[in-house]
Amino acid sequence: MIEAKVRKRLGNFQLDSEYKDSGFSLLSGPNGSGKTTFLSIIAGTLSPDEGFVKVGSVETTNLPIDKRKTVFVASGSYIPHLEVEKHLRWGAMVRKTRLEDSRVREVAESLGIHASGRVSELSLGTKGRVALATALLASPEVILVDEVFSGLDGRAGVLSAYVDLTKRARIDVIATSQDDAGFESVDHRYVISRGKTARVS
Amino acid sequence: MNWLKIVAFAAVTVAVLPILFLLFEGLGPLRDPAGYGPQVFSSILLTIVSSAIAVGIEVVVFTPAAYYFARNPNSVLETVSDLPASVPHPIIGVALLLIDSPLTPTGKFLDSLGINFFDTLTGLVVALVVISTPVYIKAVEPFFASMNESHESFAKGLGASELRTYASVVIPNSLRGVLSASLISLSRSMSEFGSIAIIAYSVFSVYPAPVLIYQYFSSTGLSPAITASAVMILVGLALMAALRVVNAKLVIRP
Repeated sequence: MIEAKVRKRLGNFQLDSEYKDSGFSLLSGPNGSGKTTFLSIIAGTLSPDEGFVKVGSVETTNLPIDKRKTVFVASGSYIPHLEVEKHLRWGAMVRKTRLEDSRVREVAESLGIHASGRVSELSLGTKGRVALATALLASPEVILVDEVFSGLDGRAGVLSAYVDLTKRARIDVIATSQDDAGFESVDHRYVISRGKTARVS
Repeated sequence: MNWLKIVAFAAVTVAVLPILFLLFEGLGPLRDPAGYGPQVFSSILLTIVSSAIAVGIEVVVFTPAAYYFARNPNSVLETVSDLPASVPHPIIGVALLLIDSPLTPTGKFLDSLGINFFDTLTGLVVALVVISTPVYIKAVEPFFASMNESHESFAKGLGASELRTYASVVIPNSLRGVLSASLISLSRSMSEFGSIAIIAYSVFSVYPAPVLIYQYFSSTGLSPAITASAVMILVGLALMAALRVVNAKLVIRP
């Protein structure tokens, strides 16, 4: 369960958003509506002016990023110098989580990762898949995905696989997008406009 | 016609003209055997070794500081860190002399540890670290500032602490910047004179190269000084070129 009720002012923009759900949610809205700001506050890369963030029963508002069990996946979310295989296992290694080879293969296959070599040399789409897989294999409590699905070929298939994988791993996910095409398999839908969120399903 | 290219080449040529002229005269009309004798090469070796040690210390000790400044801009701290580069360098030599003096508490303490700065390799390296650290930090900090912070945020989100993120993500992807900054700092150290003329004029009975050139100029004659200078320039150029080739070949390109 992710619970967030936060306010943040950035220049002329005012974020005043609420969220309380578990499972896989889509947060859609146009450019500049506050999607990234909202996710950044939940992830801990931005502090709210007011409000709180809770993951499960733990308030994470003032916790450092590495203590939140929340992975933020956006463009640029990868560790450039690592080879794909090591990258996939990196999060689990940091968290000292046991990771079976079969599990890594399953996730990689499901997300269509067939590349090898240094992650920095991969295409943008493949980097996104590797980042999503790495986040999943680290077994956090929450994964926040900022527009990454938008840039993937076969978005619906990857999304459907990711919904299934995160559900089985009991990981809550909020994914943002400017539109909801391909997001039929999500549990909940939220929209955000001018910094305000609203649950639509 | 690419006027920007012409202006750039012209500006660089004007800047290095004195060096080129000295190279021509030192290896040509004014060549003097005393300028490329064993004493000159001993001095050059001492300068290279002491500068390399100084740069090694800077990389280990001050790279974290540069990274911190890049992620947490603080004008006061940065101004303070620039101080050694903004004062006349003989002042640094005098300051180290004072710190090492048996008349001061610090000097007594250092003496109790068997540490002495005056005319020692320790003093020479310390002086070089003090004067070239601001150069190193200023050279590497912009590299860190330009790095995509998303890589670090991602690593922290996966559970990596600040220290682990620095060691496992930032450093492996900063080697190019660290090496480039090291080369700049190495050049600065090798050319230092003001502070080392005070604190380490002679080490193991060998003069650091800039001091030797000054010695030749003031007591032996212009020709040996010019020839020794030309030899030092050539050695320095060869070293820098070799290190840049190594830098280009070994560093990961993110």
